[in-house]
Amino acid sequence: MNRVYKLKLILWTVVGLAAAVGAARFILGLGATTNLSDVTPWGIWIGFDVMSGVALAAGGFIMTATVYIFRLEKFHAIVRPAVLTAFLGYVAVAVGLLFDLGLPWNIWHMIVFWNPHSPLFEVGWCVMLYLTVLTLEFFPVPAEDFSALARIRRFLLKFRLPLVIAGIGLSTLHQSSLGSLFLIMPYRLHPLWYSPILPLLFLISAIALGMMMVTLESHTTAWLYRRKPETEALASLGGAARWVLLLYLAMRFGDLAVRGQLGYLFAPGLHTAMFWLEISAMAIVPAILFSLVRVRRTRGGQWAAAALGVFGVVWNRIDVGGLAHLRQGAQFYLPAWTEVAISAGVVAAATLAFLFFVERFRVWEQRPADPDADPLKLPEFDKVGMTWLGVPVVAARTVYSLGFVFAAALGVALIAPQPASSRGVDPQSSHRARGGPILWIDGNLNGFGVAFPHEKIEQKFGGDASCVYCHHMNFPRDRASGCYECHRDMYLVSDAFRHDWHASPEGAHLACTQCHPAGQPRAAAGAKACTACHKDMIPKGTTIQVKNYRTVGYVQAMHELCIGCHKSIAKREAKPDFARCATCHKEDRAVTDAGGPAFQPPAVRGILLPPVPR
Amino acid sequence: MSAWIEFGRGPLFRLAFCLMVLGLLRIVLLTVVGIVEAYRRNSDRIVPWKAVARQTLGWLVPAGRLWRARPVYSTTSLVFHVGLLAVPFFLAAHVLLWRGATGFAWPGMPQPLADWLTLLTIAAALGLFCGRAFHRGARALSRLQDYVWPALLAAVFAAGYICSHAGLGAKAYQQFMLVHIYLADLILVMIPFTKIAHCVLAPLSQAVTAVAWKFVPGAGDRVAATLGYANSPVWVAQARSGAAPPAPAPKAAAKELVAK
Repeated sequence: MNRVYKLKLILWTVVGLAAAVGAARFILGLGATTNLSDVTPWGIWIGFDVMSGVALAAGGFIMTATVYIFRLEKFHAIVRPAVLTAFLGYVAVAVGLLFDLGLPWNIWHMIVFWNPHSPLFEVGWCVMLYLTVLTLEFFPVPAEDFSALARIRRFLLKFRLPLVIAGIGLSTLHQSSLGSLFLIMPYRLHPLWYSPILPLLFLISAIALGMMMVTLESHTTAWLYRRKPETEALASLGGAARWVLLLYLAMRFGDLAVRGQLGYLFAPGLHTAMFWLEISAMAIVPAILFSLVRVRRTRGGQWAAAALGVFGVVWNRIDVGGLAHLRQGAQFYLPAWTEVAISAGVVAAATLAFLFFVERFRVWEQRPADPDADPLKLPEFDKVGMTWLGVPVVAARTVYSLGFVFAAALGVALIAPQPASSRGVDPQSSHRARGGPILWIDGNLNGFGVAFPHEKIEQKFGGDASCVYCHHMNFPRDRASGCYECHRDMYLVSDAFRHDWHASPEGAHLACTQCHPAGQPRAAAGAKACTACHKDMIPKGTTIQVKNYRTVGYVQAMHELCIGCHKSIAKREAKPDFARCATCHKEDRAVTDAGGPAFQPPAVRGILLPPVPR
Repeated sequence: MSAWIEFGRGPLFRLAFCLMVLGLLRIVLLTVVGIVEAYRRNSDRIVPWKAVARQTLGWLVPAGRLWRARPVYSTTSLVFHVGLLAVPFFLAAHVLLWRGATGFAWPGMPQPLADWLTLLTIAAALGLFCGRAFHRGARALSRLQDYVWPALLAAVFAAGYICSHAGLGAKAYQQFMLVHIYLADLILVMIPFTKIAHCVLAPLSQAVTAVAWKFVPGAGDRVAATLGYANSPVWVAQARSGAAPPAPAPKAAAKELVAK
């Protein structure tokens, strides 16, 4: 059990969980698997997968520029891993974006249908082109091992300089354009983050992040494979990163001062705390650590500064991408666990690909040796089953696949099956009509209702005999049960028959065979009708025939009940106004009903609707 | 109690079912990769693929072969397998559950047929259990899971049968249903990690043997000839009578064969 083995087991497990969640995302849809909504359509997938992914991959263009343009040869050993990180980072961005897009199969549209006014159009094109450039830049590394590809490799190496230049151009373009995306929302982004120079801030922070990411990656893999890190070269890189970070700090605070928003720095609240934590982690502390020469030259110092910086910039992107947006409407966005799982899975898959490339090809000067690959090593027994799982390769894949399978099954178990398409309406139970001779029909208790002259109409149509004109189904031994008893939701269909109550020991305690015939599958279709036992459930002479026990929503039931008669009377007696909405919907009891439930504005899927003008 | 039932047929069932499907896929993939690697590593790549295919397909329906040696056992085993596969997949109530959860459905079997198959399966499972427990040779070869499996399957089938038949009150019904559901979930989880994995590995077992052990056609005869037992049914003779094996043929003949 070496470090690489343990890490890969964890990564495969995370990928397994993400695979299940990813499948659910494409089968059930975004609504069922995310906390995204029309109010907060961008969440952690944009902030972390896309914006942080692009920024983390900035090391690619910085290192190629350093070595191939500025000819600083001492950084040569870091170029290949940096380009590989950038390449995998951009692949991860593309994959992560496919999860976030509502219609991912339309991603090719931006190639054909141009919208040059949109920053997203520019970002899309740049990412696409830069991914191609990175592929061509990295391709010669794996091609070294295949003699058949030697000619292509030589051909590509001739174009290295133009490719590097193209990469720098494309990178600087879209690193800043990711900031431009947020220029459109000055009233949505918190003033501590919104700035007209957001594109510039994004570019500068990406350059600093690129250097810190290269450092972090070098040290982490050095620890993983027990190899010697390029500490000396990284120390000079840290020295350079210090100046970029100081420039960034000056620009960030200068911008706040120029915009007159310095007051927010000390306003108590969640956003202020987030800002200070973010700016300390991404710039202040790393800048200090990189400035201290004694710290800069040690492995620990470099690692700590780089790790803090990477964490800070990623947090900055997540803040700008969603967390630092001012609260709109009734909802506050926090990513669902499924969103986090997919983000983690994309990162884990990219890491596994990175480890594969460094183990299989000559990304570093020396390929890392697997401690388990020593032919003289004694077999090691599996800690759990005390069995020998075979040679290390076989043992590894046996255990990795087990981790993957368990995590994927867990993911499927945790995701509740939901309808593939949202009905757009939250469940909202209905309530009984209040009052006596005049009934106040206001099912959702929101103050907007209809005053229904129950007694007057009852007398007009013949007293007790007229009940059955409207009341078409009663509870056992009840007369004229209220509408809300069966039409239980305002808008959704509900079930008038309560199977759980009839079949539970605490309820009716019936045996299955008392309703379901023997020798047949127990479905609703073959079961006894309710009236077989409840003889008085359907009143005699009712005008409304009950066909099954699925009841329509309260609103629909009320409207269908009233409007039919009103329409025929309007026609018969030539009173066209009698069937108009305002004939019944004219009273607003919200004010007079002060003792009743508090006024609740209507809401559809958490979005507040504007109140009806009085 | 009904909350526990819902949990058993909801999240827990999804977990168990996915573990079964993915777990079976995993062992098939690992086995195929293992076969390919072993084949590549071999210096001698002559594998009797046709004989392997014939053996594999032949053993998929073992009736013809086992009939002669152990007719009672093979018939019981066949009935057991048919019931085991047909009832859970085609019971109308199960099909209804699938339709409710996924929208997909397939024709279910008539209830009387399901009833008879269930009873036959329970009887066959008990028969197999007894055959293993009361036969000295079988007992020597058996592991714990060999006893647990027939008992477990008989229990699940019995609980399901009681639920669908006896005019139980709501409480007793829920108790038997709880047993049925949780045992079924346990079975699904155990499938890929115990000997029931043969449901997907059986078609591969002959190929594994052929690649790993290099049994080329006629290999047994050549081994016997090398040892000097050409044309003598040595194993059968020993097993049946316990008599000493016939004397080996002269060494010269063996040397000649090896030289060939």
